[in-house]
Amino acid sequence: MNKILRDELQSVFGAVRITTPENTRVIINAKKDTVLPLLRFLKEKGYQHLALISCVDWIEAQELEMVYILSAYLGSDHAFSDKEQTNVILKTRISRENPEFQTVIPVFQNAEPYERELHELYGIRFKNHPRLVPLFLDREYSIPPFRKDFDTRRYVKEVFDQVPFVEKEAEKV
Amino acid sequence: MDRNQLIKWLKAPAKMSHKYSLHAVYFCTGCGIIEVPPSITARWDAERFGVLPAASPRQSNLFLITGYVSVKTLKAIIRTYEQMPDPKFTVGFGSCPINGGMYWDSYNTIKHLDKYIPVDGWIAGCMPRPEAIFIGVTHLWTLIDKGMANGYQKYRDRYKYYRANQEQVLGTLDWPPLLPIGDGNE
Amino acid sequence: MRELDLYFGPQHLGMVGNFSITLRAEGDRILKATANPGYLHRGFEKLMEYRKWIQNFPMVCRINVVEPDSMEMVYAMAVESLAGIEVPERAQYIRSIYLELARVGSHLFGLWAYANMLGFDTVAQWAMYHRDLILDLFEELTGGRVYHIYIWPGGVRRDFPNGFKDKIVETLHTIGGCVPEYDSAFFHNRLFADRAKDVGKITQDRAKEMGATGQVLRATGMPYDIRKVAPYAAYDRVPWEVPIREKGDAYSRIWVVRDEMIESVHMIFKLLDNMPEGEVYNRIPNPFKWKIPAGETYVRCESSRGELGLYLVSNGEDKPYRVHFRTPSYPHGLIVLEDVLKNASIADVGNTMISLYVVAPEIDR
Repeated sequence: MNKILRDELQSVFGAVRITTPENTRVIINAKKDTVLPLLRFLKEKGYQHLALISCVDWIEAQELEMVYILSAYLGSDHAFSDKEQTNVILKTRISRENPEFQTVIPVFQNAEPYERELHELYGIRFKNHPRLVPLFLDREYSIPPFRKDFDTRRYVKEVFDQVPFVEKEAEKV
Repeated sequence: MDRNQLIKWLKAPAKMSHKYSLHAVYFCTGCGIIEVPPSITARWDAERFGVLPAASPRQSNLFLITGYVSVKTLKAIIRTYEQMPDPKFTVGFGSCPINGGMYWDSYNTIKHLDKYIPVDGWIAGCMPRPEAIFIGVTHLWTLIDKGMANGYQKYRDRYKYYRANQEQVLGTLDWPPLLPIGDGNE
Repeated sequence: MRELDLYFGPQHLGMVGNFSITLRAEGDRILKATANPGYLHRGFEKLMEYRKWIQNFPMVCRINVVEPDSMEMVYAMAVESLAGIEVPERAQYIRSIYLELARVGSHLFGLWAYANMLGFDTVAQWAMYHRDLILDLFEELTGGRVYHIYIWPGGVRRDFPNGFKDKIVETLHTIGGCVPEYDSAFFHNRLFADRAKDVGKITQDRAKEMGATGQVLRATGMPYDIRKVAPYAAYDRVPWEVPIREKGDAYSRIWVVRDEMIESVHMIFKLLDNMPEGEVYNRIPNPFKWKIPAGETYVRCESSRGELGLYLVSNGEDKPYRVHFRTPSYPHGLIVLEDVLKNASIADVGNTMISLYVVAPEIDR
C-alpha cells in the first residue's frame, strides 16, 4: 500500500521527498506551495482524517516547520488494511521572521482550531482564515510563548514573582 | 449534642450555623475537581460535614479552589468570590494554588493564590484524598469557632492592595471596584 | 424575537469542567454557539521541553484528569519508539489490563456526569461508588488514587502484588453484578430515551469531516477503534468486539459507552487468563543522563474518549524538543460541539456536551 502511494505521489508531485521510517509511517517533505494540492490529493486517496496540525520551531535554521498528520477512516465495508494503520506526516518549512501560510480549511474543515492555536502560540498568520482570534490565552506576550526564544522561567520571575504579598505590603504603611 | 455544643449554640447561633452548613460554589477551577464528586456522593458523603454544592455563588459560603489557577480562571474566581455574601470562606485545594505546584514555571498560571484573594486554609497534596477534604473542613470549623477564618474581613480592610495585585496581573479590570478605594481603607 | 448572548460557564450548574460556551440565542433556539476554552491552559507542551524525558511522566498524566493512564501510555509508546526499547510480553498484558480498568473507571465517571445531568441521581451515586472501587484497585497497585504514573518506558513500574488478580476479578464481578440494576434503572428507562433521543445528532459523514473519533464516531455506525485498527499493548492477543450504534445522537453515544464498559470487563478477564509469566520491565539507561537519538514520531492509542495521539520530536538531547498531544476532546469540544448546538434548544446544551464526553483540561493542555 505504502509503495503504491509513494509511486503515485512521486509521479504527480515530482519534487517531494518521501521517507518511511516504519512500516506504518510515511513522512513527506514538501515545498510550501505544494501543501494544499498534496493534502487534496491525499484526501482523495482516502486519508480523510486530519489528526493534527503541529509546528516545530527550528531556531538554529531560523525556520518554522508545519506538520500535518493524516490517517484514514474505515471504508464502508469496515475492513482493516495497511492503509488504516498508516499515518501520513506532511511537513513543510516556512520562514521564522515573517511566518505566513495559507489556511487548509478549504480541504479539511477541522483545521480551524488547530490553526487558531498555532497563530496564538507561534505567531503564524494564516491567510483567509475566517476567525483568527485568540483561543487559549488572555494576556499579551511579547514573543509568542511556544517559540524557543520565549523563556517561561524568566517570564515567571519577571511577572508573577513581582506581585507582592498583601500582608507585607500592608505592613509597610 | 453534648453540653458544650449547646452553650456554643446559645452564645453564637450565627457562627454555629455558618460552621455546619458550608455550601460550596459549583465551580470546577482545576483538576482537583476530580476528587469532589467522590466526596459528595455515597462513598465519602460530604453531607455528614454539612458540605453541599450550591447552585450559585449568591447561595454559597465556601469556595474550594480546586487546583491550578490560570490567568483566565483568576478573573472568573475574583468575580465569583466578590459575588458571594459575607461571611465566606476560601480553601485552596491541592498544591498548585499554594505555590504553583508542578506548574511553578508555567507562563499562564498564577503561583500564589493568596496574593489575589484571601485564603483561609490550604489542603496540600496532588491529589488530596477525600479524607483530606474532611480534615480540612473540620479545621475550618475550629477556625470559624475562634473567629480566625476572617479572610472576607481582610479582603475588605486591604481591598486596595488586593485590587492592585489583581490589576498587576490581569491588566485593567473591566468591572468597577467592589469597595471604594481610598486612603482610609486601612 | 430579540437575539441575546448567553454566557454558559465556567461557573454554571450545567457545565462539567472549567469551560465556557457563548450562545447566541433567539428565544429558546440557539443560533450560534462559540466554544471558549483556555481556562485551564498551562502550556504543558512548553513545560515539557524544560524537563528531562523521565521527569515528564508526572506531567503527562495531569493533562486528562479523568483518565490519566492512556496519557502515560501514549508518552511511553512515543519514547519507546524513539529510543528503540522493547517491552516484555507480560508488561504488555499488564498495560492492557491497567488501561481497560482505567477505561471502565472513566466511563463510570462519564455515566455519573450524564446521569446526574439528566436527573437520575441514584444511578449517578452508584456509578461514582463503583468508580471508587476501581480507584481502590489502582491505589493498591500504584499507591495513587487519581494519578498513578505506573507505565514506564520499557514496561511497567512493578508487577501485580500477590492476590491482585483475584481482587480485580472480585471487583469486576461486584460491578458487573449491578449491570441489570443499571439497565432497569437507567438504560431501559423510558425517561432516558425521551430525554436523550435525537439530541445532538450527527451523521457519519459530518462526523468524519469534523475529525471525530471515539464514541462520537462509533455511535454513527463506524467501528473505528485504534485498539483494533492499529493494535498496541496486548489488544491483538485476545478476541473482542467494537460496539457500535447507528443513530449518532446522545442516546446512541451513551449506549456505546455502556457496551464498551461491558466489553472491557470481558477483555480484562480474557487477558488475565492468558497472562504469561516473566519480567515486567526492560532496563533503561540512567534516566538522569538519558539522551534519546534525534528523530520524530507520531503514536496513537485509544483513550476512553477517542483517538489520542502524540507527536514527539527529539534533537538528541536529554529533553524533548517538541511535544504535541492530539487529544480526542479537542475536535469534539471545539468543532463538533459548535456544530451540533446550532438550532438546538438551550435546555439541551448540557446534555449534548456531556454526551460528547468533553473534558476541558484535555482541550486546553
